[in-house]
Amino acid sequence: MAAERPKLAAITTVYRKHSHTQHIVDRFLEGYGWNGAHHHPPMDLVALYVDQVGRDDLSRDRASRFPQMKIYPTIAEALGCGTGKLAVDGVVIVGEHGNYPKTEKGQVQYPRYRFFEEMLAVFRASGRSVPVFNDKHLSWNWDWAHKMYSSARELGFAFMAGSSLPVTWRIPSIEFPTGSRVREAMCVCYGGVDSYDFHGLETIQCMVERRHGGEAGVKWLQAYRGDTFWDASTEGVWPQDLMNAALCRSHTITPARAGFNDVFPTLKDMRRLVKNPVAYRYEHADGVKCTMLLMNGLVRDFNFAAYIDGVRKPFSTQMYLPMPDGRTTLANFFSPLVNNIEKMFLTGKPTYPVERTLLTTGLTAAGVDSLHAGQVRLETPHLVFQYQPSAESTFWRT
Amino acid sequence: MGTIRKFTRRGFLGTALTGPMFAQGQPKRIAIIATVYKYLSHAQHIGDRFLIGYPFGGEWHKPNVRVASLYVDQKPPDDLSENRAREFGFRVYPTIAEALCCGGSKLAVDAVLIIAEHGEYPRNDLGQILYPRYEFFEQVAKVLEAERGAVPVYNDKHLSYSFEKAKAMRDTARRLKSPMLAGSSLPVTWRLPELELPHGCEIEDALMVGTGESDAMDYHALEAMQCMLERRRGGERGVKSVQLLDGNAVWKAGEQGRWSKEMLTAALSRSDNLQGLTVVDGRTQELVASGELPKLVPNPAAYFIEYRDGVKATLLMLTGAVGDFNFAAKLKEVPHIQSTQFFLSPVPNVTYSACLVNKIDQMVQTGVAPYPVERTLLVSGMLESCLTSRSRGNARLDTPHLAVVYQAPKESQYSRS
Repeated sequence: MAAERPKLAAITTVYRKHSHTQHIVDRFLEGYGWNGAHHHPPMDLVALYVDQVGRDDLSRDRASRFPQMKIYPTIAEALGCGTGKLAVDGVVIVGEHGNYPKTEKGQVQYPRYRFFEEMLAVFRASGRSVPVFNDKHLSWNWDWAHKMYSSARELGFAFMAGSSLPVTWRIPSIEFPTGSRVREAMCVCYGGVDSYDFHGLETIQCMVERRHGGEAGVKWLQAYRGDTFWDASTEGVWPQDLMNAALCRSHTITPARAGFNDVFPTLKDMRRLVKNPVAYRYEHADGVKCTMLLMNGLVRDFNFAAYIDGVRKPFSTQMYLPMPDGRTTLANFFSPLVNNIEKMFLTGKPTYPVERTLLTTGLTAAGVDSLHAGQVRLETPHLVFQYQPSAESTFWRT
Repeated sequence: MGTIRKFTRRGFLGTALTGPMFAQGQPKRIAIIATVYKYLSHAQHIGDRFLIGYPFGGEWHKPNVRVASLYVDQKPPDDLSENRAREFGFRVYPTIAEALCCGGSKLAVDAVLIIAEHGEYPRNDLGQILYPRYEFFEQVAKVLEAERGAVPVYNDKHLSYSFEKAKAMRDTARRLKSPMLAGSSLPVTWRLPELELPHGCEIEDALMVGTGESDAMDYHALEAMQCMLERRRGGERGVKSVQLLDGNAVWKAGEQGRWSKEMLTAALSRSDNLQGLTVVDGRTQELVASGELPKLVPNPAAYFIEYRDGVKATLLMLTGAVGDFNFAAKLKEVPHIQSTQFFLSPVPNVTYSACLVNKIDQMVQTGVAPYPVERTLLVSGMLESCLTSRSRGNARLDTPHLAVVYQAPKESQYSRS
C-alpha cells in the first residue's frame, strides 16, 4: 500500500527538550530501543513544520544532523516537500507544548484542529490522502475534534490518535480480559486539568473498552474538586476500596509519616497531602461507572483498578511511564507509541480505534466544562457512540 | 500488640488490605538484627514492611508476623529503632543473644532477619565494606545451637565480604537445619519486559550492565546476572575463573571480542536511563555504535566470569553512561538476543523491596526458602574474587573454591503479579 520506505511529514508546535515533538520525532530520526535492539523505523521523516521556534529549539540541530529531513515554513509546503502537492506517505501531528493562549475555561488552545484543517486542504487539493497520527486528544474543542474525526472518515484515510498510556509497559504486565463484565473502573493519577486528565481517561478507556459488548459511549460526567472532592470521597460517590486497590499499584506514594518510606495513606492523610484533588466521575451507556482521580501530592504515576464480575479481588495494574523528571532520562513510553504509529504507516491500518481518543477527547472537555460550570453533572448525549476495541493487545510487552 | 492494633485502626481498613497470604494461625515472631535502623537504610525499609505491611499483588498485604525484638549495632543521631520499638510494642536489645531470646534465657522467636547494610564500617584493601554479617550470624547460630533450635534465617544482600566466612554461614545453617535465604531485590523485582530464561536452556553468551559503586552495586548486578544464568542446562556447577579489568582495558577487551558489542547494545536498548546527550537534549542514543560510550564512563570495569561448565558471562559496570540494570543473553538456537531491565522503582517507596519482603515472608511462614542460598554464596565469592583480581593487577584468577553446585527452582521467582 505505501512506498517501500514511507516518507513522513511531522507537523508540530515546538521542538525542544522533553517536548512531545522531541520524544516522537527523535525516535523516527535517531531510532530507539525496541525488542532488544536499537530499532531504526523503516521509513523516512523527510519534512518538518514547527509552529514556534524558541531559543531552546532543537529542530535546526536535528535538521543539520539528519539532512534527509527538511524544515518548511508552512504545513502545506511540508506536506508537499516543496512540490506544491502532497508528497508524503504519512503525517504525524504533534500539537503539544509551546506557548498558546488559554480559553476562559483554562484549556490551552493547542492548534491541532488548525494543523489538521491545513493538512486536509492539501489532501483535498491533491486528490489523495495518507494515514495520519495525532498526538494526544484531537482538540480541546469537542466540535472541532468531532469534525477532525468525521473528515478522516469522509476522506477515508487511516487515523490514529492518543497518548502513550494505553501502549506503555504495565506493572504487572496484564491485559483487561476481553468480554468481561465490569462494574466500576478507576484511575488514580496526577497532573493537571486539560493535561494529564486526558492520560488518566485514556488509561481507563483502553481497558474498559474491552468489556462485554465493547464500548457503548458515555451518558454523563460530573467533576469534583477541592472540598467537594473530599465530601464525595467520604460519601462513597466512588468506591474507596477501588481507590485503595489502585493505590496499591503505585510506586510513588508520598509517605504520609516522617521516617516511613512506603506507608499506606488514610483518607485523612490524603486530604493533608493533596491540596487540589480533581475527580471526573462518569457513567457509560451500558451502566459502567468510571472515575478518574488527579491526586497531585499523593502519587506521580497512573494506576488502574476495576471491579470485574466473578473476580474477588479488584483487577489492577500500573501503566508505567519511565518519566524523565529525575526518575529516568528517557521518556521511553514514547517508544511503543511510535512503534504503533510505524505499524499504521506500514500497513495503512490503525492498530487501535481512533474512536477511543474521540471519546477521551470528549470526556476531557466535559470534565473541564463541569468544573467550569461549578462541578455540575453534565449530560453527554454527544458521547453516546459505540466502537469495538482492537482484538489484539497493543501494550508494550516485548 | 496494642500498638499494632493502634496502627491498624489508623489506616489499614478496607478490602484492599489483606491478612496472611501463606498461613493462618498465630503470627510468627521475628527478630531483626541490623547494623543501623535509620530512614532508607535496608533495615528500615525491609523491617518496616513487617510492621506496617507492603504492597503486593494489588493489595496492601499485612504479613502474619510480629516483630518481637530488634538489635541495632549502631545508633546514629537519626536512629529510628527506639521510636519503632515504642510505637509497635517491641524492645531493642543490647545484644543479639538477648534479641533472639527477647530478654529471657531461651530462644523466643520463630525467624531471624539479619540486615547488615548501611552504617559506618571500615573497608578492607579490596574496597569491601566490612559489614558484620558473618559476625551477626555467628551470634545467631550460637543461640540456635545452644537451644537446638532451627529457625529460618534471612540475610540481606551477600552473606559476607569473605567467601570463607560466607561458606561457613551456609554450612552452619545447613548443620543447624535452619532454612536460609539471602540476597537482594534484583532477582525478584519486576522485569521490563517479563523475561525468564527457560529452565535448562543453553547459554552461548551473557552480559549484564550495572552502575554505581563497588562493593555495593556490583553485588546487585552480579546477583541479577546469576539469577538468570543459574537456569541453564545442567544447573549451576560453580565458577572456574574470574578476571576484573579496569579502564581502557575494558574497551580494548570489547575490541578484541572478549565481550560482545551486540550484546551490550541489546542490554542498553532496555535502559530508561542513558546519560550524556540524552541528558543534554532528551534524545535517544545508540551508545555503542555512536562511539559515545567511552566518553561517558571514566572508570569502566569488566567482571569476566568463566563457569566450570564453560559458559562465560560478563558484567560491565558503566557508571556515567547508564543509571539502571540491564541484562542480555544469547541462547543456543534462539536467533534473537534476549534482554530485559531489572526494574528498580523510585525512591523513597522502593517498592521492589516489597517483592523481596514477600519472599522472606514466604520463608518465615512455610519454613522453606523459595530459592537456594547457594546463589548468594556463589555471588559473594564471585565478587570477592573479582575484587581480588583487581588488587592483583587485574590478573585472571582460578577459583577452585567457587565450585558451588546448586539447582535453581524451575518456577520463576520474580514479580509478575
